[in-house]
Amino acid sequence: MKAIKHYKYSLLICSVLFFSGGCDKDFEEINTNPYAVVKIDPALLFAGAQRSHVGTWAAEHTIVQQFVIPSNQGATLGFSLNADIDGNSNPKWDQSYGGAVRSLVQALELIGEDPARNNLRNMIRIWKAQVFMGLVDAYGRVPYLDAGRAVTDLIYYPEYVDGAVIYDDLYTEITEALAELDPAGDFVSADIFYGFNAENSTSTSADQVVKWKKLGNSLLLRLGMRYSKVNPSKGSAIVAEAFAGGVMTSNADNAYIKYDGSKYVLAENNNLRNFSAQNYAAEPFVEQLKATNDPRGKYILAAYADPGAVATSPADTVLANQFGVPIGVIDTEITAEGSPYRGKRGTGLNYSQMNGSAIASPAAPEFYVTYAQTSLLLAEARQRGWITTGSAQTYYEEAIRADMENYDLYPGTIAITPSEMNTYLSDPLVDFSLATTDEEIFELINTQYWVVNIRNGTEAFANFRRSGYPALEPNLYNDDLNGGFVRRLSYPDREASVNTENYLAASEALGGDNLLSRVFWDVP
Amino acid sequence: MSKCHLSIYASMLLFFVVCQHSVAFGGGDRTSISPPLLQQLTISGKVTDETGATFPGVNVVVKGTTTGTATSADGTYSLDVSSDAVTLIFSFVGYAQEEVAIGGRTTINIALTPDVTSLNEIVVTALGVQKESKRLGYSATTVQPDYMITNRTTNMMESLEGKVAGLNITPPAAGAGSSTQIRLRGQAAFAGGNNSPLFVVNGLPLDQAAAGANGNGQVEQRDRGDNLQNINPDDIETMTVLKGATAAAIYGARAANGAIIITTKSGSKNQGIGVDFTSSYTTSHALNFMDEIVQTEYGAGQAGVRFATQGAVQGNGQWGWGEKLDGVPTVNFDGVMRPYSAHPYQLFDFLQTGTNFTNTVGLSGGGTNGSFRASFSNTDATGIQPSNEYKKRIFNIGINQNITSKLKLQLNINYANEENINPPQVGTQGEGAVNFFNRMPINTPIEAYRDNAIDPNLGPTFGSEYKTNGFLGTINNPYYQLQKKQFFLDEKNRLLGTATLRYQLTDWLYAQGRYNYDRGTNFMEWNVLNGAGATTVLNADGTFRGRYDIRQIESTDINADFLIGGNKDFGKFSVDASFGGNTWRRNSSTNQQYARNFVVPDLYSIKNGTIFGVTDPDNTGYQPYSISETRINSLYGWAELGYNGLLYLNVTGRKDWFSVLNPADNSKFYPSVSGSFIFSELLADQAWLTYGKLRSSWARVGSVNAVNPYEGVLTYSINPPFNGQVLAGINGTGAPNPSLIPFTITEKELGLEMRMFNNKVLLDVAVFDKVTTDQILDVSISNASGYNTTKQNKASLKNSGVELLIEATPFETNDFKWTTSWNNTYLKTEVLDVGNESGTILLIYFNGTTAPANGNEFLGELRYTEGLAMNQLYTRTYLRNEEGEILVTPTGRLRASTGGPINTGYFPIGSSIPKYTGGWTNTFSYKNLILGVFIDYKFGGMVMSSTLLNMTRQGHSKMSLGGREGGLIIDGVYDNGEPNTSVIPVASLQGHYSDYRNLQIGDPFVFKSDFVKLRTISLSYNFSSAIKKVEKLNFVKGLTLSAACRNVAILYKDLPGLDPESVQSSGDFRAGYEGSALPTTRSYNLTLNVKF
Repeated sequence: MKAIKHYKYSLLICSVLFFSGGCDKDFEEINTNPYAVVKIDPALLFAGAQRSHVGTWAAEHTIVQQFVIPSNQGATLGFSLNADIDGNSNPKWDQSYGGAVRSLVQALELIGEDPARNNLRNMIRIWKAQVFMGLVDAYGRVPYLDAGRAVTDLIYYPEYVDGAVIYDDLYTEITEALAELDPAGDFVSADIFYGFNAENSTSTSADQVVKWKKLGNSLLLRLGMRYSKVNPSKGSAIVAEAFAGGVMTSNADNAYIKYDGSKYVLAENNNLRNFSAQNYAAEPFVEQLKATNDPRGKYILAAYADPGAVATSPADTVLANQFGVPIGVIDTEITAEGSPYRGKRGTGLNYSQMNGSAIASPAAPEFYVTYAQTSLLLAEARQRGWITTGSAQTYYEEAIRADMENYDLYPGTIAITPSEMNTYLSDPLVDFSLATTDEEIFELINTQYWVVNIRNGTEAFANFRRSGYPALEPNLYNDDLNGGFVRRLSYPDREASVNTENYLAASEALGGDNLLSRVFWDVP
Repeated sequence: MSKCHLSIYASMLLFFVVCQHSVAFGGGDRTSISPPLLQQLTISGKVTDETGATFPGVNVVVKGTTTGTATSADGTYSLDVSSDAVTLIFSFVGYAQEEVAIGGRTTINIALTPDVTSLNEIVVTALGVQKESKRLGYSATTVQPDYMITNRTTNMMESLEGKVAGLNITPPAAGAGSSTQIRLRGQAAFAGGNNSPLFVVNGLPLDQAAAGANGNGQVEQRDRGDNLQNINPDDIETMTVLKGATAAAIYGARAANGAIIITTKSGSKNQGIGVDFTSSYTTSHALNFMDEIVQTEYGAGQAGVRFATQGAVQGNGQWGWGEKLDGVPTVNFDGVMRPYSAHPYQLFDFLQTGTNFTNTVGLSGGGTNGSFRASFSNTDATGIQPSNEYKKRIFNIGINQNITSKLKLQLNINYANEENINPPQVGTQGEGAVNFFNRMPINTPIEAYRDNAIDPNLGPTFGSEYKTNGFLGTINNPYYQLQKKQFFLDEKNRLLGTATLRYQLTDWLYAQGRYNYDRGTNFMEWNVLNGAGATTVLNADGTFRGRYDIRQIESTDINADFLIGGNKDFGKFSVDASFGGNTWRRNSSTNQQYARNFVVPDLYSIKNGTIFGVTDPDNTGYQPYSISETRINSLYGWAELGYNGLLYLNVTGRKDWFSVLNPADNSKFYPSVSGSFIFSELLADQAWLTYGKLRSSWARVGSVNAVNPYEGVLTYSINPPFNGQVLAGINGTGAPNPSLIPFTITEKELGLEMRMFNNKVLLDVAVFDKVTTDQILDVSISNASGYNTTKQNKASLKNSGVELLIEATPFETNDFKWTTSWNNTYLKTEVLDVGNESGTILLIYFNGTTAPANGNEFLGELRYTEGLAMNQLYTRTYLRNEEGEILVTPTGRLRASTGGPINTGYFPIGSSIPKYTGGWTNTFSYKNLILGVFIDYKFGGMVMSSTLLNMTRQGHSKMSLGGREGGLIIDGVYDNGEPNTSVIPVASLQGHYSDYRNLQIGDPFVFKSDFVKLRTISLSYNFSSAIKKVEKLNFVKGLTLSAACRNVAILYKDLPGLDPESVQSSGDFRAGYEGSALPTTRSYNLTLNVKF
């Protein structure tokens, strides 16, 4: 019996031991992942977010008739056929909010008021303004101050804010940030536009701040020009302020990045190779390049032996041999017997596509804000009298030269020579001196802006709506747009499902979540 | 190691030391206490049954010890007992247990009488504790293992579909090694957590861990099986389904969805050495219902015109909007002219007969102090999809040993090795034979796809998939995969080991310690071909396309527990109480790597690549090595009070501490109380009533199974250098929430059990009500917040229902017996609260491309909506006017509904969860021949058919025939009420039928998922008595041959073209959505069982 008592005793000890330790002593440590990155230099988040979204071939470039998907394949039915398909309107939203916005918001949160990261903080503010400007331009009312704050402030259903209000705040953000940039402050080496490893690299904060001031002021110029229809006097003041602050003056100021084509590829161009049989250059754009014998044309367009296999098929890049798919026409009409169109070729249509070895190469550079864009905006501003220095013609011609010089950056290109540039500039359809009225000049400038922004759809789409140029014919397929153009992208359907209340309020304020509602600066 | 674990391990260790001590030094202790040596005496005797016949296999145990034996074939026994032994207990299932005082006798003979009230009396309950069923205040159903052997399925749980009230089993049609969906009393939580019950194998808790085909991507589009594949039905001795929360309360968080307790065989004492051998062969054949939907009149083409050139076919060959089939030679994708005629059942030409050959050999034995069984089983199966093979080997050992008269060791080891080779790609618009054949026109014979899968043209396309259509990448020729050897290998090894030591401290008190070790490794290896779904094998940078992946997952689950329990009678009262503790620690690690952009074609290896997982800028969240570690520590106890065999009251309590939760609030207490009232004790004069019990219970359990370790903290990805500059981003699309708490399930149950008319009729009814609150939910949030989802404690739901079991023996003679059994479950589910103002939560948007609400399957939504049943399917409908007429556009085209309860035009159309499930079993036995006929059914659920939508919008369904000659006028009206007269011309039919997809009009694609199936017919013959007559064969103790046919016929269904059970996934995310799963199969099985 004594032995049994022994056991009982031991069991009692067992129980006491079990209780005594508590039962969750090391749980916090156990629930900490030793391999996860939980702390990060906000400069690296900023660098990641600099690769922000600039539009897709299937959306913005199609709306401005540079590109077309002339087939009704259900899922790919989209702007080419005036259809409001969710998947076509979403990329700008999804990639902006789910990418740049949340990284920039998080980076600002991590920096806080740290004076040692003053320049980084202000670069982020400027770049965040760029991202939101694109969102307002694309959708109108969008989530702004609440956006990207699920983690920092537990805001899961952000409110949509009037675009005009956002623009006012973007103005404040950019101007404040510009004022706070400090040549004696921190050097942000990670900056992929002007940092240590950038194409237009700098190695001192003084040099870097100069570049960022130019970038910030060029963005401010872009912002001011957006008011040209809705509030010219406000636009004029902002433009003058930006110009006085100092905008980009050469390609060495460009905010751009370059892909290596193997490890990092330009995803939008890579996508173009899939389903290539459905992807074509649009007639108005091809005709513009052909009519002016544009030396950029051979790098933009190509006629492939088999449009269904652009990755491997031989290409003809002679400009005269390029044909664009007419707007509002679909493949069954093109290939129908006795059709007035060019019919089929290989597994696709007998039309030109984007040149997959140059402009549409996975190794193409991506331009965000450039001297060429800036100089064209200055040309218009000068013509409007919003700035008083320089000549509109010089700004215009310098912009074109600068853009042509940028083609050096595309793979497989040979530098466009100054004489080619001069020939182009004296083409009757390009020559500034032949234009007499303001409207003729605006058309010249903004048609060039359209060509310059062949890979920045957000900008091409915004400027087309603002300036009304190039002079395009509306796509009348099914006449779903009442004889007009697409004026904005529609909100993701997921927003209607998930963020219903805010979505409905915003849609109502816009006059409906459709392709014909207008963003605030786009008054008829 | 935490202090807590130290203490638990210390307890375990101490316990073992104490026990060891008693073994090694017990004698010494005794000599020091009391000089009188205990004598050994031998008691022997004979046991007979109620007819006086010898009774083999009766257990004879000295009360209060583990000393015991069993009677041999002639009914005799012999047992060495110490002189202080007082009482012997004789027991046999189905007979009244007898306690006999020894009183100095050395010969004790006894006759046992049947105890009709105690059939199925002993039930294995939580923690392996065996209880008389009358003491239970909750529902526990015992499953007969024989049924699983006769009606064998590769995954043993599949054979139980429809067999147990409250247990809803849904096997996906996803290949030979696939998982099953197992839900007890409904789906307790929204999708995202583990909603299947806990399995407890010899005391080892095992999650089902179903790896169903739940999404896109090479891994997620395949069903990689579940843990039940590791259990061989031939090894199962008992299986008990503990349906309610009370039954499971003692297992805590892991058993929030109930528990299924499995005990495997470990031989029986005094039986000598025996060998049993089972051999089973099954063939499976795809069931074809396609003639219900496929059109056989029109071939490939567009706008009513067939394609004229090879290029046109390659560019648009997926469309079936061509001309009436006329047999005239017409160009195909490969440039060959073939008659324009119908080959409508290509999928079924592509599929093959599946087979399964399983052999099990078992060796068992038992002496006076212990018994064992060891078995080995080998399964070789092939799926109905070519190249799908499934092999498994299971090695099982069970040992029971009395180390001393008071100390008992039980050891169980189960080792399983599984190889799942090329599990089919299902439920995805992309790769996979089903998606290809259902979506291609019918005028190209399958031989063309087979013989020209690889592009033969020399040049840049050489070696890539020969382009068959314009959706290359989405609709891919499966022969290309087969011929270029795309592979997906999934090999698993799993060791389950349990050691239990039980020490009988006194005749009323015992202590038990147990250690469970569960070690698994899973190696996966797969490739994507250089030229799959593409017109080139090359990347832009000149390297070869494709990808090669390897993944190795290692996991260790350790459960260590102790239990101290005792029971004692005080006059008419009895008390049974226990106290215990458990620590569960799970560690797993994943090693993975991949390579792409290959240097050498057709070679899939890491070294052949130029971009690797760790350096891939397109995959910045990729972790080549990751770990996961969780712990749950628990303390628990229970007490049972009994009064005179008439009333029992049971109280349990358990507290769990969770490592995955915020330390500020990381524990949860689960109480339960239950009672039973054996009212038949008071109605002894009612002869018709043999046994009657009323039971009632209340329990609260909870779970954190939707919370993963580490996910409360935001993490960053470091991306490879971009032109020399390292970039960073934020990982994942879920916003971390560090303040989650366990969700709670509160369940009430009331039950009645009656055996009547001399045990010829049994009735078991249960009514339950189960409410889940504070659910842990992946709430979809606006992605303008930067994230797509966040986990929150939100929402509550209710599962309530009635379970009914009626068993009867309507007819019985000496030779013939008919037993019939009907079980039925009525399940009502209701979402009570979703935690937001709109009253609805989107789970998945099937037409979307934004993860995780990414269906990419084109139609409808799955939502949880307050006041509606769970898993509510939504779709837009035709736009109708107040009179209910369909409204069309001025040009006579379709319009989609607008407004509605969520203002998006989407309307709820019903739940995917069936309201009624059940089965009707009939067993006819004549002498040694047994015929089993089993019918089962499910009613009250809805399904959306992606197959029909896609076949319609592409011109392959009967529905798409409308308007082929002369165009279509939709039967509708204009806004002004005038009848529609606008003709949709033939050239625009494709656009019209695409409108269903583009506008999301679901009306024609929504069906009931109801079915009634003649599930199995089985016939078995027991040759044992025949063999006994032949003296030379007397070494054979038993021989049974059985044949079975499974899925004999579908007696009723609503979904056209498919079996409503041909679902893609065993998960909850794509519930109610039919899309590109394999056809279900009918199987024929022959099984031989021999015992020596």
